[in-house]
Amino acid sequence: MFPQRPQFKEFIQPLTHLTCFSCNTENSRPFKDGDYVFKEVEEKCPKCGSSKMLITGIYIEDRQIKERER
Amino acid sequence: MFSILQIGGQQDIFSTLVSLIWLLLLMTFFLYPGFSQRIQLSYILRDLERKLNRLRMIDDDVRERTLRTLQEYAEANIDVKNELDRLVDSFVISPESMDPYGIVYKLEHIVNTWEDRFEEDVAKICSKADNVKVKTLTNLVEVSRGVHFIYRLVRHYYLLGKRTQNVYLVLQMQMLMPQIMEIAEAYRQASYAFTQGQPIGDGVGVLAVAKLAYGREKKTYEIVKDTLVHELEFDGRRLIIVRATGPGGAVGRPGEGVRRLVESEGDRVKLIITIDAGLKLEGEESGKVVEGVGVAIGGTGVDKYKIEEIARAKGIPLYAIVIYESITEAITPMREAIAKSVDRIIEKVKQVITEKIEEGATVIVAGIGNSVGIGVT
Repeated sequence: MFPQRPQFKEFIQPLTHLTCFSCNTENSRPFKDGDYVFKEVEEKCPKCGSSKMLITGIYIEDRQIKERER
Repeated sequence: MFSILQIGGQQDIFSTLVSLIWLLLLMTFFLYPGFSQRIQLSYILRDLERKLNRLRMIDDDVRERTLRTLQEYAEANIDVKNELDRLVDSFVISPESMDPYGIVYKLEHIVNTWEDRFEEDVAKICSKADNVKVKTLTNLVEVSRGVHFIYRLVRHYYLLGKRTQNVYLVLQMQMLMPQIMEIAEAYRQASYAFTQGQPIGDGVGVLAVAKLAYGREKKTYEIVKDTLVHELEFDGRRLIIVRATGPGGAVGRPGEGVRRLVESEGDRVKLIITIDAGLKLEGEESGKVVEGVGVAIGGTGVDKYKIEEIARAKGIPLYAIVIYESITEAITPMREAIAKSVDRIIEKVKQVITEKIEEGATVIVAGIGNSVGIGVT
């Protein structure tokens, strides 16, 4: 009956991919303000416990897009 | 005796009325040929109005986000809203092309003046932001300006078409609206990316050369504003990488950078490779890496012209690597397929260098694109 406010597409937050300097393990977490590719961050490696990691990528994974479309 | 009920060949009043209405309609279309066009015009105008309303909402949304972000970095005594309105409404007048001689340099001068002024103004508003943040905020204001321009342009044609009752004008606008809406929505998503400093699809060229230089011994310096050079050794060849300074949002001046490098290197440069994101055709796969010849650089054409000019003068072959993506993917946060194409790009660059260039020679590799969210390696 009343005109509906058009809905905007939800914005997908990219994931930050990190690689451990000690054991080369790769893991990801949601993007945090201040992250950029090739930044060295003081974060604990989930595998070896080392506290220095490198951001190797920041991108939206295909599965995130599929989840939004579902 | 003739009776009005005989008109439709029927005897009841309802059938006669229906027949009369039909007759009236047929006569209207017959005697007033523009009637169908008026119906079509009102239908198109209603459709355009709905889309224009959505465009206004996108414009408001982007403007509000930009305003909030700028306010975070501005001093309390600054009227950010007024300053933002001033920047969003600002314009650039392209140089006179009646006499095309020297137009590229005139265009370069105007574009550089505009970019510098824009950045200075953003820095003045956001005095709490560091240099990297100022560059990203400048991009954010440019996004806001872009989406506002789209809204103003569509509104102009809608109102003009409505006032002049020109069906052909609004029909053209209606045909373009799906693409315009897609671009506007991409701008809206881009505003999120620039607010937070996330890498965008257009930055894939910069990301590729950053990864190529990562972990190697090199000499790094700024050759022109926002443009970095890495000089390194690769497989017995001298590799000179040109890219925009990161992690703030900048595209740099790769054309001028390459020109200065070639001039200072003399005849040692044997190949120039440019890597950039390229618009894919519908149905093509995003992140596909393709090779070609020429200079892969978009924008105003100034950078492309400068590289082509110096390469022709010195007889240097031009090689291009393009990564396919859509317009939306180019200005929104980087997608997985594009990010994962980086390793393939590096392999291609290495292959081209080792196959085409002799040991001891120099190669320039320029990673083109916006460096937002991509650090210096």
